[in-house]
Amino acid sequence: MIPELGHFAIILALCFALIQGVVPLCVRASQSTTNNPFATVSQTAAIGQFLFLGFAMLCLIASFLVNDMSVVYVQEHSHQLLPFIYRVGAAWGGHEGSLLLWCLILSGWTVSFIIMNHAGNISRHVIMLLGFISAGFIVFLFFTSDPFLRVFPTAPVVGDDLTPVLQDPGLIFHPPMLYMGYVGFAIAFAFAISALITGKWEKAWAEALRPWVILPWSFLSCGIVLGSWWAYRELGWGGWWFWDPVENASLLPWLSATALIHALIVSEKRQVFKGWTILLAIVTFTLSLLGTFLVRSGILVSVHTFANDPTRGIFLLGYLAVIIGGAFTFYSVRIKNFYQAPNFELFSRETFLLINTVVMLTAVATICLGTLYPIILDALNLEKISVGEPYFNTVFLPIMLPILLLMGFAPHVNWGKQSFSVLWKKLHLALITSFLLSVILPWVFGFSFHWISCLGIFFAIWIILATGQYALQLLRARKKIEIQHSAMIIGHIGIAILALGITLNKTYSEERQVKIQTGETVTLAGYHFTLSHILKTRNENYESTTAYFNVWKTTHHEQILQADQRVYTSHEQSLSKPGILANPWRDLYLALGSPLPNGGWSIRLYYKPFVRWIWFGGLMLLIGGLLSLLHYRKRGEQ
Amino acid sequence: MKLRFVLPLLVFFIIVFFLWRGLHLHPEQIPSPLIDKLAPTFELTILSDAKKKTSEKDLFGHVTLVNVWATWCYACAMEHEFLVDLAKNQGVLIYGLDYKDDPSAALNWLHEKGDPYYIVASDINGDAAIDWGVYGTPETFLLDKNEVIRYKQLGPLTPEIWETTFKPLIQQLQDEP
Repeated sequence: MIPELGHFAIILALCFALIQGVVPLCVRASQSTTNNPFATVSQTAAIGQFLFLGFAMLCLIASFLVNDMSVVYVQEHSHQLLPFIYRVGAAWGGHEGSLLLWCLILSGWTVSFIIMNHAGNISRHVIMLLGFISAGFIVFLFFTSDPFLRVFPTAPVVGDDLTPVLQDPGLIFHPPMLYMGYVGFAIAFAFAISALITGKWEKAWAEALRPWVILPWSFLSCGIVLGSWWAYRELGWGGWWFWDPVENASLLPWLSATALIHALIVSEKRQVFKGWTILLAIVTFTLSLLGTFLVRSGILVSVHTFANDPTRGIFLLGYLAVIIGGAFTFYSVRIKNFYQAPNFELFSRETFLLINTVVMLTAVATICLGTLYPIILDALNLEKISVGEPYFNTVFLPIMLPILLLMGFAPHVNWGKQSFSVLWKKLHLALITSFLLSVILPWVFGFSFHWISCLGIFFAIWIILATGQYALQLLRARKKIEIQHSAMIIGHIGIAILALGITLNKTYSEERQVKIQTGETVTLAGYHFTLSHILKTRNENYESTTAYFNVWKTTHHEQILQADQRVYTSHEQSLSKPGILANPWRDLYLALGSPLPNGGWSIRLYYKPFVRWIWFGGLMLLIGGLLSLLHYRKRGEQ
Repeated sequence: MKLRFVLPLLVFFIIVFFLWRGLHLHPEQIPSPLIDKLAPTFELTILSDAKKKTSEKDLFGHVTLVNVWATWCYACAMEHEFLVDLAKNQGVLIYGLDYKDDPSAALNWLHEKGDPYYIVASDINGDAAIDWGVYGTPETFLLDKNEVIRYKQLGPLTPEIWETTFKPLIQQLQDEP
């Protein structure tokens, strides 16, 4: 009964989505919006759609909680022994459920937009377009990926279980967080198309749009950080970023949304870059959809392998071609109306922000090329290759470095025009200090000299000093820092910490692969690891072999590290659950390999300095983003 | 309409074209670097008799299939019936590599479903499979009389694949010296 209710809820949600999209088209003819009873129909339909999709999601979760094995999706992703908490996460652990989540979150964004926006007359178009976008996805969900399909009359009794690597608290939060980001850019997209429809771009719209870009951007940042943290803990390779196609798919919209945020500031404050902003908004959502396509169609081989069903890929690609192809066609016809002669000089804040957006898009293009290159070569029948870390590290670093240098300057540069000598006078001390510190600090802390880490330290300190100086300057002039500014300051310092974490981690990481017997000791980066004993235990749905290590640097301070090797009852698959000893300065990371015939184990040891800083920097982006929203709440109260 | 206004549309449709072509490709079928190379050496115990050893020398002199399988592998169960048919009715020589498996379970499986293999090597730790570049079961290698790998099939062997690919190739290999 419950799955059927969910099934009907999806059908009703689709009807509501169509009403949301179609009714405003009819109302348009009559023009008057104030006393027209149909004017609010679209909004009501959006709310109805949200409620029914929410209900469908609850039905799916309920089917998982009671383990209704007659539902194919539940049978494929659950198991009698699967712990309760993971059954909730399993609801979006596979293709069908995660698509339902996609639709639910899109309608959630639409409803919150309806409730909280101050965009005025343009919002009618935005809600209409969101209705069509949503309808397309619900059709996709219903016809190719129905999560409520049943098998009658004989249902398999045992479930296939959720893939062991997904049985982790990270799974419950990571996909929703990522989708909140991905899907949220639909609003910016709808905004851009609405602007193309009406043929103008008002200052008030840019202002109204900003929170709807910053909020999904914050969620996406957090989702990427969660994903990285999950990969680090679960995959057992000691890495935090693998340039996996699916990771790239989440990074691409993040980069272009970062560009969009900065372009929006210019189009709001200075009335230029309007066409550029519209293009970036379209590109950002395109990349979200492209990411969804890459992940869901199985076109790429990745650690996130999902079932490969060609009809799904073709449907998604067709949908992409219609929605995005339509948007770009519209763009090419209408965009000339948005041209505005530049009213700023070469050395000005506008130029700095423009460079930012151009660099971000360049990064998008190079990552996109690396991700799609294997497909392109294969499609041309040339050869089968895979593009990996060496390519991405080589191209990404040189592109992003100049941005870090400019980031320190940008807040100090005036709108319209800036004299270079004044800027130099203001910032040369910070620049020189950070240069000196980048040479001295590694020496003081006894690190070996390496140019990448020096560069990392230099840029990080430079951004922190320059941004800090900007904050002081604000305090001195106005006695307070406005929310908008503090959000920027936190965000930029977050990037500095992120860059520092990445470079130091990269240069000073150490690893060893050894064979070890009980009682033996191995040493890595000054830490001694003694294998004290091995314990076999039975848990709810897996058997684990746990190795206990005593870890010490100096004899009077000993810590215990435990690493697991799990064999899940439902899969004949074993999973290595690494043991991690963390502190702010370094992680000690130990993964069990395989048992040796003579009773020992092969293990991999990693020393990962400053790895926590990477995620901390990422979280600061979330904090900065959320903080900037307070500004809009205050404005709403006034 | 200036070119730069249409540029995003053009780039987008070029990408869509390649993605559309990409949907019909099989990225997971990577050509094995071992094709046209000598079979990697190994020494393993024989499944049916743990005291005896088998090595790549047992592959010499005939056109042979080397089939990598395991009892825990669902797809292997699907192709097994066809392998038995090949061995019994068409006289194909199939060498089995039992990959990361429990020997007693493997013997039971062969007892129940029939044994198409002339020798089964028991690769309990998966060491030989690493040298052979195995990354999933089932996989089937086709070796010529001189122990050179000539073809590799990923995934289960089906009658269609057999007729279109293996059969003509085997006939050609039989005629080689």
